[in-house]
Amino acid sequence: MSVNLKKLLTDFFILMALTTNISFIVSPNMVELVIVVAMNLAATILKIGESRMLSAEQMAASLAADLHLVPALFFFALGDAPEGVGLAWGALAANVVSVILAIVDVVLATQTELEEY
Amino acid sequence: MAKRRKKRRLKASLRRRYEAELIRLLGELSLPLLLLHAALTVGTLGYMALGGDFLNSFYMTVITIGTIGFGEVLPQFSTPQARIFTSFLALAGIGIFTSSVTMIVRVFLQEDLIAVWRQIRMFDAISELREHYVVAGYNRTALELFRILKRRGIPLVIVDGRRELDRELRAHGIPYYVLEDPIQRTALEAAGIKRARGLIANLKEDAKNISQVAVTRLLRPEESFEVFAFASSPDAADRMEALGATRAFLPNRMLAGRLAAFILHPESAYVGQLLDRIAFGEETEVDLLEIVVDEHHPWAGKTIEEINRSFLGSVIAIRTADGRLVTELRFDRRVQPGEALILFGPVRSLRKLKEEYGVGQS
Repeated sequence: MSVNLKKLLTDFFILMALTTNISFIVSPNMVELVIVVAMNLAATILKIGESRMLSAEQMAASLAADLHLVPALFFFALGDAPEGVGLAWGALAANVVSVILAIVDVVLATQTELEEY
Repeated sequence: MAKRRKKRRLKASLRRRYEAELIRLLGELSLPLLLLHAALTVGTLGYMALGGDFLNSFYMTVITIGTIGFGEVLPQFSTPQARIFTSFLALAGIGIFTSSVTMIVRVFLQEDLIAVWRQIRMFDAISELREHYVVAGYNRTALELFRILKRRGIPLVIVDGRRELDRELRAHGIPYYVLEDPIQRTALEAAGIKRARGLIANLKEDAKNISQVAVTRLLRPEESFEVFAFASSPDAADRMEALGATRAFLPNRMLAGRLAAFILHPESAYVGQLLDRIAFGEETEVDLLEIVVDEHHPWAGKTIEEINRSFLGSVIAIRTADGRLVTELRFDRRVQPGEALILFGPVRSLRKLKEEYGVGQS
């Protein structure tokens, strides 16, 4: 897997995690929630082994989102829909931070490249 | 711009490089985890599309790709469409599951990951060391030195570029080592050169030892930092000392000298061996110490008897200001400023004196 493809995939899943999270909050249903969890977990897994500048912070934000969404999945499946949606709101905050961090990282990386040449 | 780049390069410590290596090795986990995750997601969503609820769909996926296969857990999963789906999920999923688990286990069991992890932890342990010695180059001499200094509680950090030494160093119980080329500034910094008491250049070739001395002196120019080196010829030894080595040794001459001492003093074998053992640090109970008495020293003007009474041990000789060694000491002889006392006694007592009054200059 080339570096650029991995970066593309990681950024794709970070964005998908945020967008599906919003769509679940707008229309809460089980399938949506499974997709949100899948996207978030994929984003986390892809961050393992990343050596970007803010990788630790990104990993932390991603894990925070996961730890909201996995319990949300079980609450929702066991019938406590309001709690599931509540946790999804928490995950949304973490996902927003994740996207901001990804943008900051790109800006920092671009600046470093410019300095080096 | 170039200046800035240089600054950043210097900042990249060896520990950070090893951390990046560890992260890279852990990165090998992402592919198998992603495959496993994809299989679980496709399975769960598939069963949910076939009419199952989340928990049963997830459970069905796990028992299918995990080769448990309890059978269909819901009537919706026994329809022809569901069975076709289960068949394909099993065909693809079981392969993904077994290969992913193998890949994950392989990442954790591979020697590289463990070695890198161990080295990072060792860097942390080394960063706690103070007043230790760094040995550039590992061989039998370094091992013997480690054993002797260990008895005296002086830690040793071995720096050697051969990564394959890892197993051997561990087998000998050496707790601190850096498996990087000792000529590198980063390797020496990781070995705690800034806080060390000295360095021993113990590399195979004179040329390497000479450059080791030079590199070390660039990092620690102060005279109190000791640099010892091994040389194969007097000429090389002179060059090392000119470059700043505290002392350069000729191993063959040292060995011959020690052997000659046994040949020349057969009648006083015990004393000969005792002094020998003290000199070589093998004697752990008693030691010799030289203390220079200047005019401000509390011992200046005192008698030998008074001094002997002030610590455990005794004054066995005095080196006068002009370099003569006086061994016939009367108890009422007064110590003159500028003289050096040679003391013999228990290690603990001498160590206390050394901390109190400092070391003598020869």
